[in-house]
Amino acid sequence: MSRSSGDTMETERSETTSPRADRAGAANEVGAAIIHQLNGPLTALLLYLEDLCQNGASFPPAERDGVSLQEVAENALREAESVCRLVQRLGDTFEAPLREQTAFAQGRDIIRWWSRVGNANDQTQPAPETAVRRRSLSTREQEVLVLVRDGYSNKEGAARLQISPRTYEGHRAALMRKFGAKNLADLLRLAARDQDTAESHVSALAGRRPAAPPERCGKVRCRI
Amino acid sequence: MYASGQVARVEVERAVTAPASLRVLVIDDDESVGAAIKVFLARRRCRTELASGAYAGIQALGLSDFDIVLVDLFMTGMSGLDAIAYIRQRSAVPIIAMSGFRLRSSLEPIDYLGTAMQRGASSCIRKPFSSRQLIEAIDLSLGSGVHSGVSLR
Repeated sequence: MSRSSGDTMETERSETTSPRADRAGAANEVGAAIIHQLNGPLTALLLYLEDLCQNGASFPPAERDGVSLQEVAENALREAESVCRLVQRLGDTFEAPLREQTAFAQGRDIIRWWSRVGNANDQTQPAPETAVRRRSLSTREQEVLVLVRDGYSNKEGAARLQISPRTYEGHRAALMRKFGAKNLADLLRLAARDQDTAESHVSALAGRRPAAPPERCGKVRCRI
Repeated sequence: MYASGQVARVEVERAVTAPASLRVLVIDDDESVGAAIKVFLARRRCRTELASGAYAGIQALGLSDFDIVLVDLFMTGMSGLDAIAYIRQRSAVPIIAMSGFRLRSSLEPIDYLGTAMQRGASSCIRKPFSSRQLIEAIDLSLGSGVHSGVSLR
């Protein structure tokens, strides 16, 4: 594609967040999403264990080996409480300051991402929809995509690949076209989604594993 | 070993100490939370109904009366905050907002608690919570002074 589209991307890039910030944000969201996913089962575990302990009168007395079920239940509760404290502390660490406007939209994105990944009780796998698209990228385009994702500027990326900035911009423009991306943030989001589906397809064969960060939502308008 | 008869007997004993039974609606797309709250409240002779989403919860509210509603803030589909606003426009039922995200902190510019309260929540509770915290939230929402007759303590 032409040079002008490369220039447009530069303008858009300065308007949106930098890829580095995107990555930091994505890592933060993954952390927050993991914590969010743990909160429900942990709450349930805590309530069940408290119930067991409070109804300890119905536990039989200690067995001949000296182990009392009451004691075991109390120990289990104590451990669950310490995991809860840990998760709460982690939750405090992961939640970066956000603008109020995007906060709830982001919360929803995190949940949407998890609902794609599936939860602990869910045995179904998300279908690999667009992973095939990745294969249509040339080797150079894949290299450029990685550099763009890692926050390299056009100049830095071109130097890294030892090609001219013009050629680099051409590859980047081709990426935008192939992904149907409107801007850089859009490209990163779509690329991450592809990665997501590709990896979840792999993990479907190799066992479960959360795959990729949730969609960026910096530009999503908050409906609330 | 762990005879079911014994459990049932204890359940009755505990239930007698609860002065009144509450009708509770739990709106949460995480079913494990709702199920555990249901067990906890059943010990206190409360009738708990579970709704796995905001729409289902609003529907349940239309079908029968509840003394208190627990709503998760972050759910797929309609958010808990929207649900709180919707319910509050139509009913004075006490609402407890539940969230796994940090609800308030001096460092945190987003005040989930404040927003939930603005929308009409009576109190907030952060997951994971203990039964004591749940009781406190319920008591707070019911207004411990006025409604002491329905206190769970």
